[in-house]
Amino acid sequence: MLAFQAPSVYQASKCYFTYGKMGHVDPKQPPSKSKPWTTLLGQDFVHRLDLIVPEEAYEAVHAAVVQNREAPQFKRVVISLRDVLSGDFFTEYIKKGNIMMVSEGRIGIDNVYCLKDGVLTMFLDKETYERAGLVGKPHGVKGKRGLKPRWVVEFALKGDSMFPGKKGFERLVYASKNALSAPVTWLFCNVAGTVPTPDPLLQHSPANHTATPDILQSVEAAIPLLQPAAEYIESGARDDLESFSTELYEWLSLVRLESPRINPRDDIDPFLCRYHAPDPVTPGKLCKISWQGYLEFLATVPNAPSCGHQTRWENISCGR
Amino acid sequence: MKVRPRKKEGIGAALLAKAHSAEDASRIFTEKVQQRPLFLTPSSPPPSDARAARRRAQEKKKEQRKKALKPKPLSATQRRKLGLYDVPREGQKYAVFEALHTLWVGYIHEVLGSEIYTGGEGAAAKLASADFHGAEVEIVRSGCVSRVGIKGIVIKDSKFAFEVITRKNRLKLVPKEGTVFRLEIPSPKQTDDKSQAPTPAKEQPESMVVEIHGEQFQFRSDDRASRKFRTHFSKIL
Repeated sequence: MLAFQAPSVYQASKCYFTYGKMGHVDPKQPPSKSKPWTTLLGQDFVHRLDLIVPEEAYEAVHAAVVQNREAPQFKRVVISLRDVLSGDFFTEYIKKGNIMMVSEGRIGIDNVYCLKDGVLTMFLDKETYERAGLVGKPHGVKGKRGLKPRWVVEFALKGDSMFPGKKGFERLVYASKNALSAPVTWLFCNVAGTVPTPDPLLQHSPANHTATPDILQSVEAAIPLLQPAAEYIESGARDDLESFSTELYEWLSLVRLESPRINPRDDIDPFLCRYHAPDPVTPGKLCKISWQGYLEFLATVPNAPSCGHQTRWENISCGR
Repeated sequence: MKVRPRKKEGIGAALLAKAHSAEDASRIFTEKVQQRPLFLTPSSPPPSDARAARRRAQEKKKEQRKKALKPKPLSATQRRKLGLYDVPREGQKYAVFEALHTLWVGYIHEVLGSEIYTGGEGAAAKLASADFHGAEVEIVRSGCVSRVGIKGIVIKDSKFAFEVITRKNRLKLVPKEGTVFRLEIPSPKQTDDKSQAPTPAKEQPESMVVEIHGEQFQFRSDDRASRKFRTHFSKIL
């Protein structure tokens, strides 16, 4: 489910850097097999999405991504797992439609249920798992062995065997009546875009939320070189590439944080901060569009990778 | 010092030759080592006179008789062949055991008395020593997840497992280890009222729900009657 592994004592966080040339991209059929497309498609739940573009390209990007489309919407609803798996909700939204849902809680500590692409994943603690009676796999670094073992249970709800009356589905329904019967707060996002009539969600009185984009325009910035020097690529000098990528990542993070350190005329006392953007630096202007909420990546910025060929560069950052 | 034996005689002869003179050594070797009688059975050689032979025959007979009289438990294969605890195919019907279940409910009402309403330690102690043949039991939690959801009437309560017949006339043998069983005991008023008009749902008294931890319950029903249960910390919980 996670696109990247959670950091732990045993494994430090990793940063992956890919460099290449992008060919012509058809906006309706973006490629899905190579990087960076696999990384983009692998994003599951995005909490915060930032898009950074130079000011020259701002108009085009703004038109493509913000103006001509509705702001992404999501809902918060209190519903039990049993209601999710029965009635109109199940047939309309799960079987026919395409939705994304996640329940309240921290994975690894509370019991969390996620629904994405028709796959229901439940992260359960030992007691709930043993009471549910569903087959799952050990979850976490220690798996079955630790003091508090945790389990993951997955069900592909779009499959042919997942209909009321079939054995496997009936076991899931039994579990939802007994062990997993409490109503839970969910975040719901309709990815498909079309809402069935009458909306089965309305009887549970959802609270609507819209992730309106925050737009920051004309930020003066000292822009460093955004392409690695040719000799770094050709020689395959790993240290140079590493330092280039980390410095670029640092600069982009500062832009994202709206830090005044990237301003070319920044004159903070070097006792407090000694940061300089990596040389050579050209002053320019940037714009930042950011969304915050329960977002589905491709629904929010579907054209962004393909409108990159209109701009000289752009940066998309997303976080859970 | 060379202790290596000569090929013909062996190490025994060589050692004896060190301790005794040559003739003594060869005499001891022949009589005590080479020609030593090996008694294959304790009773050989056969008794020399008739009296000893008769005595021996009588003792043997007595021993065999004693052994035959001693009761021996059946081996597992013999038990399975005899099929003493098998329920015949015609008898594997849930409907047949529903009557047993009604009897059991009556029995448990007698055992619990008024503690069915209060619950607590007194009720728990009485239930622990009660018999569960005929109870309707549901498996609610188990280390083996496929057992969860089995519901039926207890036919056999053995030391380590419950044999249960489900509504679909299937016999299930459920081990007690790592499993939690749930019983619902309807209160006496519910069973009495069945003959009269049904009371509205709000007034009907609820049933007593009991959860049994199979890990702590691994005793035969007859052994359990006289057992004092003490609280133990459970590994699985």
